[in-house]
Amino acid sequence: MVWAIATLVALLYPIPFERSGQIYYETVGFLVLLNAMLGIGWNIIGGWAGQFDFGPSIFFAIGAYTAALLSIHWGFNAWLALLGAVAVSVVICAALTYPVTRLRGHYFAIATVAMWMIAQPIGATWPLINGSQGLFIPVAAGGGFVHGMLTMEFPGRGKGLGFYYLSLLLFAVTLLGARAVERSKWGFYFRAVRDDQDGAEAIGIDSRLYKVIARCLMAAVFAAGGTLYGFWALAVFPDQVLEVNWNILPMMAAVVGGLGRLWGPVLGAIVLIPISQLMTATLGAGPLAGRGIDLIIYGAVIMLIAGWRPNGLLSLPWAAWAARVRGRAPAPAAPTSPERS
Amino acid sequence: MTIFLQAVADGLQMGLLYALVAVGLAIIWGLMEMINFAHGEFMMLGMFGAWGLSVSLGWDPLVSMVPIAVVMYGLGVLVYRLLMQRVQRGEMFTQIFATVGLFFFIQNGVVALFTSDYRFVEGSLLTRLSGANLSLGGVRIGVPLLVGGLIALGLFLLLYLLIDRTDFGLAMQATAEDRDAAMLVGIRPQRMYAVAWGLGTALVAVAGVILANFFSVYPQAGLSFTVLAYAIVALGGFGSVLGTLLAALVVGVVQSVTAAYLPPAFKDAFVFGSYILIGLFRPQGLFGRF
Repeated sequence: MVWAIATLVALLYPIPFERSGQIYYETVGFLVLLNAMLGIGWNIIGGWAGQFDFGPSIFFAIGAYTAALLSIHWGFNAWLALLGAVAVSVVICAALTYPVTRLRGHYFAIATVAMWMIAQPIGATWPLINGSQGLFIPVAAGGGFVHGMLTMEFPGRGKGLGFYYLSLLLFAVTLLGARAVERSKWGFYFRAVRDDQDGAEAIGIDSRLYKVIARCLMAAVFAAGGTLYGFWALAVFPDQVLEVNWNILPMMAAVVGGLGRLWGPVLGAIVLIPISQLMTATLGAGPLAGRGIDLIIYGAVIMLIAGWRPNGLLSLPWAAWAARVRGRAPAPAAPTSPERS
Repeated sequence: MTIFLQAVADGLQMGLLYALVAVGLAIIWGLMEMINFAHGEFMMLGMFGAWGLSVSLGWDPLVSMVPIAVVMYGLGVLVYRLLMQRVQRGEMFTQIFATVGLFFFIQNGVVALFTSDYRFVEGSLLTRLSGANLSLGGVRIGVPLLVGGLIALGLFLLLYLLIDRTDFGLAMQATAEDRDAAMLVGIRPQRMYAVAWGLGTALVAVAGVILANFFSVYPQAGLSFTVLAYAIVALGGFGSVLGTLLAALVVGVVQSVTAAYLPPAFKDAFVFGSYILIGLFRPQGLFGRF
């Protein structure tokens, strides 16, 4: 029942804005879905496998650049470019990650930061991707909604609506895929590695292999997200796709919502992004513009959420509240084991 | 060859300052395994403190170092008691998340009060010494940076003495090793954690004060130092103060030598590349306890 309502809301969300011409809110929806999707991807390595990755944006960038190059030089359709981007990203991820799986905990985390820091000057100076001058994705004019969905091209007014539904589609695919992984053997192996790596090794789970697999799944999601972003922005610049926000936001969404919970990043994205957009729109403009007041409040809100609900918003007793609203006595507290999403 | 030796000398001096930036992190992490995203922001506050006192009261940074250290110690304790103590009971990630909020809050608070303009500390004692050089076999060692580095080294030694030779320092080490056992002998972990936060914050702020002599002061100065500090602490081995010093020197030298021969954009890339390389052979860092 809840799913039906949620799906309906998600599908119908942009309609009122389309009619009133407030395209901005459709783009907010797009950003929420994109970050939720990235958050779900990040949750695979961070929440389930317990390996904290602080530099996932390199795969976002690899995805965006690969898709851009495939589209520009070989005329690939956007969806084929996306597949290519995912493939390249997964291969590079496997190659990069396997050596550093020797590192544990914080050392691994710093290694992921190290990779991100190394990627930045490469992105800014590599001639193949045009360095800091960026790549521009050509888009043909015209074409209706259906054509746009097939090619990720939405020039002009239809952009907000079109990309909202594109991101919704990719988000749904990611969510269903993650759900499948969570309940599969892989999901159990990941969580075993997280909870007790030595114990997992003792029963024959190759922790290094599964860390790589988990990170590659994340890399695939980020590459898809990067492709989507590239076609949305119609240009790929190194300092945009490697920006620190693409590192932090998916992670924050997962943490705010509840680390390791399937819907955690979704809830987190729904909470965080509109708050930041609202702050920017109301306080970042007008007489106090340029003074960062919006970010001050954003930071304060983050600290409040962290202090008030250290286990994430999903750890609130939603089921008990819902039961009380429906007039029934709340059920005894369900154990919050990570196997139940 | 002289270019190389010059770069090494410059790198060692910067390394001493980096060590001061990183050691606060080493203490906080070593004691309670908390990642502080806002570490560099405290350094930036130290820089702004030095600039502010220099502009309004005419105090030299070498003088304002002391009151700034005291105030920032208090701020560190406050941050711990108000925020970090609460998030300690949650996921580790929530702690990081909380410090991300702190990061946005502090950085933009400074932007709101002072704007993002670059500021400079003028006429400080150390900058007035610039131009004075020591020469060591063809290698020029600038006096200002040398003095800054020596102050950092001095503080480092004081810290080492505190942690290793005083009862209080031993209590902190005990809490890091086994919290429950420490409680059994009457040590209060919360107090240790608060002090660790205070110390860590004060140290990095003092590093900021020294750096304000040489670098421009602006609100966004913190983040790159935070990242570098983490790489340094990880390289030295989480939990080892001496390791942090050594790793900081290594980082300073790698940065400096890279900048001497390659485009400056790559100097950090090489630092992080070295981190990964060393990490492959010594996953626990140079001196890490695992």
